[in-house]
Amino acid sequence: MHELPFDTVLIANRGEIAVRIIKTLRKLGLRSAIVHHDIDARTLAVSMADAAIAIDGPTPIAAYLDIPQIIAAARQASAGALHPGYGFLSENAKFARAVTSAGITFIGPSPENIELMGDKIRARNFVQQHGFPVVPCAIEEDDPTTFVRRARAMGSPLLVKPSVSGGGKGMQIVRDVGVLEDAIAQARSEAQRYFGDGRLYVERHIENPRHIEVQVLGDAFGNVAHLFERECSIQRRFQKVIEEAPASGLSSELRQRICDTAVGIARAANYHSAGTVEFLLGGGEFHFLEMNTRLQVEHPVTEMITGVDLVAEQIHIAAGRPLGLAQSDVVPSGHAIEARLCAEAPERGYAPTTGKVLVLDYPGGEGIRIDSGLSRGQKITTAFDPLLAKIIVHAPSRIETAQKAHRAMRDLVLLGCTTNASFLARILADDGFLHGQIHTGYLEEHPHIAAGDPRADLSAFLAAGALLTGPVRESADAVSELHAALGSWRN
Amino acid sequence: MNHCFEVDGVEYQLWLSRCREDYRLCLHDRVIAPVAFSHRGDGCGVVIIAGESQPVRFAIDGDTVHVHINGETRSLHYRDPLRTLARSKQETSQAVARAPMPGVVIVTRVSPGQAVSVGTPLMTIESMKLETIIRSPQDGIVDRIHFKQGESFEQDAVLVTLLEERT
Repeated sequence: MHELPFDTVLIANRGEIAVRIIKTLRKLGLRSAIVHHDIDARTLAVSMADAAIAIDGPTPIAAYLDIPQIIAAARQASAGALHPGYGFLSENAKFARAVTSAGITFIGPSPENIELMGDKIRARNFVQQHGFPVVPCAIEEDDPTTFVRRARAMGSPLLVKPSVSGGGKGMQIVRDVGVLEDAIAQARSEAQRYFGDGRLYVERHIENPRHIEVQVLGDAFGNVAHLFERECSIQRRFQKVIEEAPASGLSSELRQRICDTAVGIARAANYHSAGTVEFLLGGGEFHFLEMNTRLQVEHPVTEMITGVDLVAEQIHIAAGRPLGLAQSDVVPSGHAIEARLCAEAPERGYAPTTGKVLVLDYPGGEGIRIDSGLSRGQKITTAFDPLLAKIIVHAPSRIETAQKAHRAMRDLVLLGCTTNASFLARILADDGFLHGQIHTGYLEEHPHIAAGDPRADLSAFLAAGALLTGPVRESADAVSELHAALGSWRN
Repeated sequence: MNHCFEVDGVEYQLWLSRCREDYRLCLHDRVIAPVAFSHRGDGCGVVIIAGESQPVRFAIDGDTVHVHINGETRSLHYRDPLRTLARSKQETSQAVARAPMPGVVIVTRVSPGQAVSVGTPLMTIESMKLETIIRSPQDGIVDRIHFKQGESFEQDAVLVTLLEERT
């Protein structure tokens, strides 16, 4: 028996994260219910859940953002708790309030936590007021009339950022202060279009920093613990591609300082639930970037090195339980790398791809974990983001993990839709990556990794393709016996 | 006969012919022999190319063959030369079978007025010392055969004109 105050949890999400949450619910003896748009009706997550409630909207994404429909679905499923996953409504304070007001436990932080950290300007000011390091910046709302002048005075390079953002939308690096005003206008328009909030701030851009983030857990009893750091420096257009834990080559002293800072920020915010404090590390110094008040896509690498089930911890904290661990219980072991398998073609500028899963074979073996919501026959559309699955690999050392992850990516077979599997394999075999010489601009600096080898020998593929294509084989077979015997040449 | 696959936006012309029990593959600047494929069931097989065996996972979806070999995946889109030509050259009420390459008519297999279906062999041609069957690009009635046995033609020449079958 689970002895929790609820026995059914509604998952307000889809795909791989929904599947991953269901696995923990089963482990804890809880029932799972899931909402789904019709486009997802035949997906793995829906088939695995104990109950599935259809939701609708003008677009599939709109359905998953429809708060009244989701609350109604939770009631219909008699769900006592709701897990938002990541993305969609996971960092929406209004949603967290609506869930709580409906008498349902929100598996996540308080609406106040979300409001404080969800607004980047507010979060930044809060962190700075508490004496933690932030990147120098100019904030528009401090004084709109002097905003551009104050930003320009910081000197280039600059980074224009929206106050509310995600996935790198609306962010712009400005190397020439002469074009700052144009960049601000463009960023404002993008931020308004994507997030309905055009407020901006301008940060001093740290060239080629490393992205280091710390996983924290806080409960209602004042306990806050960190589960060490992750490195997410391999990015393209501000989106993470490969993540790992721990970060490579950090001194134990710097690691301790970063983790202590994250705990300090979470404690200052009176943070309850799982959260991630992100930092930029450059020139030996680290600065607060933002805090994510949800489960992160890359949480499995932390689970692999610590053995802690973060979703189970989220559930226990939401149920009013104290943390299931003390800081001294968190002992990292080995190294973990996660590769994000996406429906996209890095060789064609990361163009999104579509198709149907005709063959799906994941690599297996000790230390390999697959978080996936895919099943054979499933259509891959452009209705959602391109993330298909995560391949997470654990081994004693970073180099062994990278080699094992590289083999795993080469062994993975997904036919029917172009993916970035080969690109991920190329990163994992790249010398610079293997030596830990990585930073957030690494992929831009090494465009050949995305481009692949345009002169690759395709003869084996063409031979297989020709022999598997009826008209090609038939036209060859149609050649007379005599010609065949003569090697088809007439003399 | 020349065939075309499009892979990642690039077109590859190739030619497959018999080579004893196996096949010979002519890519534009290379001849690879022997090539063979043995099925192992459920989308698995082995491609033998120039004596080297490589395990293959594959899936066929219409005119596309998805192939995974040695950690790499490619989707090969077959561009049927007849259909491509028929599409681009077709007149409103007529379809034509064009020559995918210059050559000579070895034998005609149909007569004017004869009803044919998609894929019906219309004639056998010889080109580059290899024989190729020219098949009907659509259902219809043979209207005209433009070249007799032994006559030569240039690439893209109209070999056979078809009329749409009247219902």
